[in-house]
Amino acid sequence: MPRTARTASVGIAVAAALTFGVTACGSSDGGSVAADKKQTLTVWAMGAEGEKLADVAKEYTKANPNVTVKVTPVGWDVAHQKLVSAAAAGTLPDVAQMGGSYLGEFAELGVLDPVDTKTFNEKDFFQSGWQQGEVDGKAYGVPWYVDTRVLYYRTDLAEKAGVTKAPTDWKEMQDLATAYQKKAGTKWGLSIQPSGLDTVQNFYSFLYSAGGEIVNDKGEVVIDSPEAVKALKEYGSYFDKGLSNKSVQPGYDVVKDFGNGRVPMFFGGPWHVTLLNEGQPQIKGKWAVANVPADKASVSMAGGSSLVISKDSKHKAAATEFITYLTDTKGQADWYKRTKDLPANTAAWTSGDLADDANLQVFKKQMDTAKANPSPSNWTEITDKVDQAIAKVTQGKASAEDALKTAQSEIEGLVK
Amino acid sequence: MRTMTSKAAESATVQAGPGASESPATGPERRRGGKKSSMGVQNLAGWLFSTPFLVLFLVFMAFPILATLVMSFTDFGLRNVTRPLDANFIGFENYVNLFSDGKFLKSLFNTAYFVVIGVPLTIFLGLVVAVLANNGIDRARTFFRVGFYAPVVTTIVAVAVVWRFVLDPSDGLIAGLFSEVGLTSPDFLGSETLAMPSMIAMAVWRNLGTVMVLFIAGLQAIPTDVREAARLDGAGAWQEFKGITVPLLRPTLLYATVITTIGYLNVFEEPFVMTQGGPSDSTLTVSLNMYREGFNFFHMGYASAMAYVLFVVIMGITVLQLRLLKDNTK
Repeated sequence: MPRTARTASVGIAVAAALTFGVTACGSSDGGSVAADKKQTLTVWAMGAEGEKLADVAKEYTKANPNVTVKVTPVGWDVAHQKLVSAAAAGTLPDVAQMGGSYLGEFAELGVLDPVDTKTFNEKDFFQSGWQQGEVDGKAYGVPWYVDTRVLYYRTDLAEKAGVTKAPTDWKEMQDLATAYQKKAGTKWGLSIQPSGLDTVQNFYSFLYSAGGEIVNDKGEVVIDSPEAVKALKEYGSYFDKGLSNKSVQPGYDVVKDFGNGRVPMFFGGPWHVTLLNEGQPQIKGKWAVANVPADKASVSMAGGSSLVISKDSKHKAAATEFITYLTDTKGQADWYKRTKDLPANTAAWTSGDLADDANLQVFKKQMDTAKANPSPSNWTEITDKVDQAIAKVTQGKASAEDALKTAQSEIEGLVK
Repeated sequence: MRTMTSKAAESATVQAGPGASESPATGPERRRGGKKSSMGVQNLAGWLFSTPFLVLFLVFMAFPILATLVMSFTDFGLRNVTRPLDANFIGFENYVNLFSDGKFLKSLFNTAYFVVIGVPLTIFLGLVVAVLANNGIDRARTFFRVGFYAPVVTTIVAVAVVWRFVLDPSDGLIAGLFSEVGLTSPDFLGSETLAMPSMIAMAVWRNLGTVMVLFIAGLQAIPTDVREAARLDGAGAWQEFKGITVPLLRPTLLYATVITTIGYLNVFEEPFVMTQGGPSDSTLTVSLNMYREGFNFFHMGYASAMAYVLFVVIMGITVLQLRLLKDNTK
C-alpha cells in the first residue's frame, strides 16, 4: 500500500517549487527568437487532442521547415499536476492547451503571456469561447475548440411513449421523462448526476436556463437567488419522482445505457455524437439532439479549450503563428475533421460538413447563447460547495432554499 | 521447546515481509566474509551498496517528510507554487483550524469507523481463510490461496468495475439475489448508512489475501511434533487450535494487526474510486480529504497539517497496539 508515496508527492511539489521556483522568476524575457529563424516549438496538448495534434504539427512543419513542432500528449488525469509542477519549475512548454477551469489559476500564477489582440480578434470567435480565455477582462488564451451540452434523446422510444417532438421547456422535458418511464418502459427518465465531484456540470443547464448564476458579473455571489432555487428544485424533482438515478456512480458512462434504452435522455457534449455512432451503432437514426429545454431561455454551459503561450517562452513569435494556423477558418475546419471538436472560430461553421449537419447546427445554436464560467483560481472549490448543495437536495437531506443558503455563505467566504 | 517454536513462528513472520527471504543467509555469510577482508573495505562496500537506496530515501522520503512538516505551518496555496518563499508562517493556525473544521472531524470519524469495524473483520476472516487454505482438502488448497490472494494484486480500477457490478442497486449481483426472493436491493453506494459498510466489505475482501499469506506462513512454522504431542495427549481439533495454533501465532497476529490498522487508517483508494467521499461526505476519509484539499483546492499548508495529524494518530495507535499485544504474549 503506497500511502507514503502520496505524502511524498506533496513534498516533491514543494521541493520542486523551492529548488526551481526561485530561478524561474529571474529568467523571463531573456531574449526571444524571430518567427522565421530555425527553432523547435514545444506544445502540450491533452488526451486525444494531443495525439491528433501531432499529425497537424507534421503538416505544419512541412509548410514551415524552419519550425519543428514537438507535441507532447498529456493525459487529462495528470494534466493539472504536470502543468502546476512545470509552472513551478519554470519549464512550461511554449504552447499549451488549457481548459477554462485551469486558466484562472495559471493567469494568477503569472506564467501566461497575454494574447496578442492585434493578431487574434475577439469577434472571430464565439463569445463564450473567448470569455473562457479571459481572466479579469484580460485575454490569456486563444479559443481552440468549444463545447457545450445539449439534450440527447431517443426518438424511437419517444414515439413509443406518444411524443413526436423534442421537449422545449422544463415541463415538456419532465412530461417526456415520465412518459418514457411509464409508457415506453425505460428504467429512468433522464440521466443527471445526483452528487459527487462536478455534479454542477449537469446543473448548469438548469441554473443558466432559469437565469441564475453562481457568481455574477460584478463578482457577487448569487447562488441563493430565487432563480437558482427554482433551478435546484426542478433538478431535485427528477430524483424525488424516481425519474433519475439517486445512486452515486463516479465514472458512470451514460452511452451504454442510452444504447440499451435504460436511459432515454441525457445532457451530453459534442463528443457523444462520435461515441454513439461508433459504440452504439444499433440505435443509429433512433436518437437526436435538441437544445437545452428552456425556462426563461435555453442556456447551456460553455466549455472547451484555449491555447496559451508561456510567459517564459523564447519562441513567442513562432508560437503566435502556430496558434494562428490552428485557429483560423481553414485550420479549424481541418481540426473538426480530425477530432470532431467544435470549432471556436465561428466562420469555420459556414462551410462543408459543419454547415450541412443538422445535429451540429443544434450545437451551433446552443453555442450562441452558451455561458462561460467565471474563472477565478479557486473555481473548483467554489463549485464544490454547489455540488454539496445539489447532493443534499437529491438525497432529500435539505430543501433547495436551505442548501443554497448554506452554499451562498460558504462561497462568499471564498470570493474575495 | 516453547522458546524454539515461538522463534520459528517469528522467523516465519519475518519471512513474509518483503525481501526478508534472504535474511537467514546473510548472517553466516557476513561472518565468513568479515574474516577474509579488512573492516574498512567492508564498510566502504556497505556504504557503496546502500548509496542508491540512501539517495532515493533522502530525496523521496526524508526531504518530502520534512518539507511537509514545514509547509504545515504555512498558508502555502496555489499562488506559492511559483513564489514559494511568499508563503507565510502562521504557526499552529492550520492545526487549530482542523479541529473546528466539521469536514475534517467527519473524515476522522469515518476513518475511525472504518478501522474499528474493518481491522477485526480482516484479521478474523484472514485467520479463518488461512486455516482453510492451509489444512483444507489437498486439491482445493491452491484454489483457495490463489482465489483469496488474487484481489491483493488486482488493480483498484478493475476491482472497482467488479464491485460496482456487485453493488449496483438496479442490475447488480446483489440486486439480482434480492429480486430472486422478491425484494428490492438497497442502494449500497447511494445511501449514507450503507456506503461505509460497503467500503469496509470491499477493503476486507481486498486485504484478506495479505493477512492470509502472513497467517499461512505462521501456521506452517508451527512444528508438527507439537501438534502430534497435543494429539497424543488427547486434544481435539478445537483444543489444538486454541491451545497450540493461536498462542504460537501471536507474533504473526501482532504483525498482521499492526500493518492492517496502519493501512486502514490511510484508506484512500476504495472511497476514491467508488464514491468520491459521498454521499454527503459519508465515506470521506482523512486521506481522501487530504488529497482533495491538497490537489483539488491546492490548500497545501492545510493538507500538510492534516497529513501530520494523521501521522500522529497512526503512530499513537501503533505504539498502543504493540504495547497491548506484546504484553499478552508474556
